[in-house]
Amino acid sequence: MKLVGVCACTSGIAHTYMAKEKLVKAAQALGHEIHVETQGTIGVEDPLTPEEIAEADAVILAVDIKVEKGRFEGKPTLEIPTSLVVKAPKQVIQKVAESIGK
Amino acid sequence: MAGKLKGKFAPSEIKKHVLTAISYLLPLIVASGLLIAIGNLTGGVTVASIDELDAMTVPSALTTLGGMGMGLIPAFIGGYIAYSVADRPGIAPGFLMGMIASFLNSGFLGGLIGGLLVGYIALVIETYLKVPKWAQALMPMMIVPLLSSALGGLIMFFVLGTPITMLTGALTNFITGLDQSQKALYGFIIGWIGCLDYGGAISKVPNLICDGLMADGIYGPEGIKVLAAMVPPIGVTLGWLLSKAINKPIFKYSEEENIKVAFPMGICMISEGVIPIAMNDLIRTVICTSIGCGVCGAISFSAGVESMVPSGGVFVIPAMTNPLMAVVALLVGSCVTAVLLVLIKKRLTPEQVDDLGMAEDDTEEEIDLSGFSLS
Repeated sequence: MKLVGVCACTSGIAHTYMAKEKLVKAAQALGHEIHVETQGTIGVEDPLTPEEIAEADAVILAVDIKVEKGRFEGKPTLEIPTSLVVKAPKQVIQKVAESIGK
Repeated sequence: MAGKLKGKFAPSEIKKHVLTAISYLLPLIVASGLLIAIGNLTGGVTVASIDELDAMTVPSALTTLGGMGMGLIPAFIGGYIAYSVADRPGIAPGFLMGMIASFLNSGFLGGLIGGLLVGYIALVIETYLKVPKWAQALMPMMIVPLLSSALGGLIMFFVLGTPITMLTGALTNFITGLDQSQKALYGFIIGWIGCLDYGGAISKVPNLICDGLMADGIYGPEGIKVLAAMVPPIGVTLGWLLSKAINKPIFKYSEEENIKVAFPMGICMISEGVIPIAMNDLIRTVICTSIGCGVCGAISFSAGVESMVPSGGVFVIPAMTNPLMAVVALLVGSCVTAVLLVLIKKRLTPEQVDDLGMAEDDTEEEIDLSGFSLS
């Protein structure tokens, strides 16, 4: 399946990027395609394009803080703290896959 | 509150709102704290009013600006908590609640409570108030901010104001009234809990309290927070060097690689670098690092180390009160961690040490995801 993700943690310098790395690695290992945007203290990096969002089957929000969700309207979305994604990225992705049946 | 607002009041939601505010707040506190520190170190004083403008020097300008930044803290907290709860219409009322908190001298706590209060008021209004179509454009611009500010403001002034102010006063008196041995004890506890999970969910709690106290002008706990956060990475690095020196291998090759990354992160006060090292031997590592952090906190607090800057690692030590004791606290704490690690971690065989041939952490610990669902 195709996934998009957003990572954002409180201080915006560590967990954000650890979560992104874990998600990308886990998705590759499980054979899924994923694009991940980070919203650290520095601002948005690797922003998701509207096309990537449109093509995605589901959205993973690995966030401890508020992020804008308007652009994901209508997509199946899993919102989850960054710590869990860092701990068990594969289980998170499998959970999404099971939930949308892919 | 049922129906459309179901789940909006869950503790995890409220925690997210507070963390959002802290996230926006951190750069403000770091910048303001450093401005005050640099200004003070170069002989600046606060210029209190425009009548004294002739006395303004460059250092005084920095100090004064930093003070203004610190004054913004309650407003920032209120504003961004309310933003997190109720989106953009929450920002203005939230900032106003923060101003009330400043006015009532209830600082951080007042901003926090006011922000949550007004945020939820705004959310309820947004959700339940139905207006005719022609007035819909006025909702986010006028109706929500005005109604929620008025309601929240009245509650803050007439109902919550006195208890919040009293609570803040009691907390301030309690901390400033501690004697030397009590300070060592509380310093140990703050340092110990603050590093328990290396910047994770548990450490956020005492860290939040330290940030809050700093906003109210008590800088000792913030010193513990800054110093103790650096103990795990520096302690693990020292432990690694010590284990090399006495020839007792306790870290695997992959962990050594992680230590080389964790150390530079550590001196910048990011303790998360220790997580991959701790994961392999969680209980022993946590015992060693948390005791080291506690010792660091006890020394720092009882020696009167204060930090007006909430993050920045070793680079803000010169700006602390009593920087020499800060360095001592940091080093002693780190050495305690290092020695404990070498003592209680098991000696590894050469085969165990050479783990780089294996696949990288492919196994995950089972976690319970049943509380989460797709929306």
